[in-house]
Amino acid sequence: MVKKDLSIKFLGVNFPNPFCLSSSPVGNDYDMCKKAYDVGWGGVVFKTIGPKSYVINEVSPRFDAVTKEAEPFVGFKNMEQIAEHSLEENLRDLARLKKEYPNQVLIASIMGNSEETWEDLARKVTEAGADMIEMNLSCPQMTSHAMGSDVGTNPELCKKYCQAVKRGSKLPMMAKMTPNITDMVPVAKACLEGGADGIAAINTIKSICNIDLDKKIGLPIVNGKSSISGYSGKAVKPVALRFIQQMRVAMPKLEISGIGGIETWEDAAEFILVGARTLQVTTAIMQYGYRIVEDMKNGLMHYMEEQHVNHLEELVGKANKNIIPAEELDRDYIVYPSIDDNKCVGCGRCYISCYDGAHQAMEWNEEKRRPTCNHDKCVGCHLCALVCPVGAISKGEIVLKKTAKPGRNIKDIRL
Amino acid sequence: MSKKYTDEYEVGYNPRLVMEEAARCLLCHDAPCSLSCPAGTDPAKFIRSVRFRNFKGAAETVRVNNILGAICARVCPTERYCQQGCSRSGIDKPIDIGRIQRFVTDFEDATKMKVLEAKPSVGKKVAVVGSGPSGLSVAANLALSGVEVTIFEKEARAGGYLRNGIPEYRLPNEIVDKEIARIKKLGVKIETSHPVESLDSLKKEFDAVVVAVGMSKGKMLPMFDGKRNVKIAVDFLKMVKRKKGEVKLPDNILVVGGGDVAMDVVTTLKLLGVKQVTDVVYETFEEFKASKKELQGAQEQGVTIIDGYVPVSVKGKTVKFAHRNIQSELKIKADMIILAVGQYTEAAMLGLEVNKKQEVVEDNYKVKDNVFVVGDIAHGEKTVVYGVRSGKEVAALVKKSLGVK
Ligand SMILES: Cc1cc2nc3c(=O)[nH]c(=O)nc-3n(C[C@H](O)[C@H](O)[C@H](O)COP(=O)(O)OP(=O)(O)OC[C@H]3O[C@@H](n4cnc5c(N)ncnc54)[C@H](O)[C@@H]3O)c2cc1C
Ligand SMILES: Cc1cc2nc3c(=O)[nH]c(=O)nc-3n(C[C@H](O)[C@H](O)[C@H](O)COP(=O)(O)O)c2cc1C
Ligand code: SF4
Ligand code: SF4
Ligand code: SF4
Repeated sequence: MVKKDLSIKFLGVNFPNPFCLSSSPVGNDYDMCKKAYDVGWGGVVFKTIGPKSYVINEVSPRFDAVTKEAEPFVGFKNMEQIAEHSLEENLRDLARLKKEYPNQVLIASIMGNSEETWEDLARKVTEAGADMIEMNLSCPQMTSHAMGSDVGTNPELCKKYCQAVKRGSKLPMMAKMTPNITDMVPVAKACLEGGADGIAAINTIKSICNIDLDKKIGLPIVNGKSSISGYSGKAVKPVALRFIQQMRVAMPKLEISGIGGIETWEDAAEFILVGARTLQVTTAIMQYGYRIVEDMKNGLMHYMEEQHVNHLEELVGKANKNIIPAEELDRDYIVYPSIDDNKCVGCGRCYISCYDGAHQAMEWNEEKRRPTCNHDKCVGCHLCALVCPVGAISKGEIVLKKTAKPGRNIKDIRL
Repeated sequence: MSKKYTDEYEVGYNPRLVMEEAARCLLCHDAPCSLSCPAGTDPAKFIRSVRFRNFKGAAETVRVNNILGAICARVCPTERYCQQGCSRSGIDKPIDIGRIQRFVTDFEDATKMKVLEAKPSVGKKVAVVGSGPSGLSVAANLALSGVEVTIFEKEARAGGYLRNGIPEYRLPNEIVDKEIARIKKLGVKIETSHPVESLDSLKKEFDAVVVAVGMSKGKMLPMFDGKRNVKIAVDFLKMVKRKKGEVKLPDNILVVGGGDVAMDVVTTLKLLGVKQVTDVVYETFEEFKASKKELQGAQEQGVTIIDGYVPVSVKGKTVKFAHRNIQSELKIKADMIILAVGQYTEAAMLGLEVNKKQEVVEDNYKVKDNVFVVGDIAHGEKTVVYGVRSGKEVAALVKKSLGVK
């Protein structure tokens, strides 16, 4: 049995493993968080606690999903705001969790609507025993414009609220970013200036998942109407990785908690490689349950073993330097597809995609029902490899373009 | 496409196909599959690992729970066990759990994983008589806890019916070799060509003795006794497997019997190219004992199966049968006759009391102080996975009686 140390330090706090519930209904109360800890999650970000004055009143139903073929959800949409439980109940649950699980990490997510409420909430969750604070600057469906992603897209406000939280608490604090913005870096920087110790990214993306074609209403339908609201799950992973990469390039030492579409150990490893130190999950838990952490932990341990790595630390940000601006990429060569006739089952999908979506380079032998690639037309885009259902197309011969810089050697090219 | 005796009949999954099958799994709560695997292999857990792309974790789950995971994957009658209550049947058909388990254990082998590690010796010694699945399971489970185990096996090669019964096309010897090699790595010693004739000396030399001799003899019917060209099914299967299918056979063979062993015989004969294979079965199809999969395999190969007839006499090459329920007689002339009418145990030779079901008289596997029985000769079903299960259970009892943690 594989056994590896998954512990990691994040903002000075020691996590037994990087896997945390992200703030959402999966960490709504004491019982849920208790079960999550028992199943093996390293930390919990408790459901966002708001000010007493802000009354939560949710819609029903409140979810929708994007499906594809037989997959029940590729992406997930929710219309939830923040904690429905009372402030007192939430504080009591936090205190009880910390007392019973001193070694697992407890993070309080808070959201104020003024400097005073931010400061006050920070003080209260600190007194309750939280190890860390996460500022929710990013919920895209608040019923107040003084809260959520409307705040999170305004660097000045973010900075002010971070300062307020820091007045209320000395605990390590991360600010949770909204992806509903072109560039996250200025907001992240403003938060750090305001006193944030690290960044959590991402919260959900504003979306409309489906429209009911008969009723002509977005889903879910709430008494004949619907709203734009937050999108999460596997489909948002690429967006999350991109924002994290951009922040790490702008601030190479930045400590980040990665969120968005994490479901498998491979997803987790990808977030770590672009610079996340801890990982947060909601949608996959809502779909499959807390148990998914078992395979994420075990799979990550096997990966560490394969990589000959003893501490997760050694993997953090290892991909950052390999993701560079498009203008710096090597444009001197073409790599042609290589087709394995033994694997090919003769479906012709590579031919169709190459003709209709690329450069008409794939030629089809109707008798043999096999493709061949015409190098005179092929640009080496490898659309064919992506559509091939049996992985019969791989990277083959490399040739230098006529425009290649003189003196280039094919042997130096890493595929 | 014509199949060969030496090729695995069922094709294994590749990574794409195993993902497709795992994606069909409903990831049930209180999963019925896991509740009904006799050995506690926990299919719901390893399928979930596959679904979440943790193949190595899946392999760990199989191996930790089932020391013969790669073998069970191929030979378990899953329709009666893990797949029986599969929730997916409410939509279409059960998940092919055996084949997923096979992919997972093949992956374990291909990536040279070493999942299990034995604890250091605790200074206790146990003898196991017989190296079939139950003997291997009890030995491995004891060795994991630091018990020094020696298996005594009368045959030249270990494995019991895994080696000598189940045909190559369902269970290649290469797989049996690999499973046994893993068990030897845990420190289990196997003394082959070592028949045990009495338990007395073993009882003196070892702290406990576990008898796992199985039902390794095939029954003869009196009317066929001493006749030329009459063979016993398990002896025949053993001969074919040892010779890797390189045997000369006549064109017209009659098989008597309708259990899984008979199905293995008729399918083997077909795969070896015998033109006419006729199987006469005591049971009617409604009462049929063999698993549907085996029956289907035999029928696909073109075996003639006649149900409901009992042999009444034999003269030269001709056997006369009578139907059990209707007025009907049948005469079949064949160049060779193979009897697949059940197996029995020789445990009585070791001084153990054997009942009509060919089980040793025992109380929760215990015969007397520090003598236990396991596998086919103990209570319970007569399958490989039951051998794995009883091996685990007996290992726990032996450990308890020897005070080993
Ligand atoms: C043809 C055939 C096909 C089968 N197919 C399947 C299947 O597909 N799936 C399934 O689950 N089950 C199948 N079974 C049943 C399964 O093989 C048995 O239930 C299982 O092997 C029993 O295990 P065991 O350890 O109790 O005994 P065995 O496998 O019978 O092993 C007993 C061992 O003890 C040795 N032995 C006996 N006496 C002595 C002695 N005095 N000293 C030393 N060694 C001794 C024997 O040589 C043998 O190696 C099949 C059986 C047969 C015959
Ligand atoms: C139903 C639901 C409720 C959520 N509530 C909160 C919340 O209260 N506070 C918060 O910071 N994020 C909230 N989120 C966002 C998640 O914490 C997370 O950032 C986002 O869903 C992306 O991760 P995922 O793909 O793993 O779900 C919620 C998400 C969902 C799906
Ligand atoms: S897509 Fe793949 S399988 Fe289909 S024709 Fe092309 S190479 Fe063959
Ligand atoms: S060991 Fe056999 S019965 Fe158990 S899960 Fe595996 S295939 Fe099914
Ligand atoms: S019972 Fe069937 S569907 Fe349910 S977990 Fe087991 S294999 Fe999957």
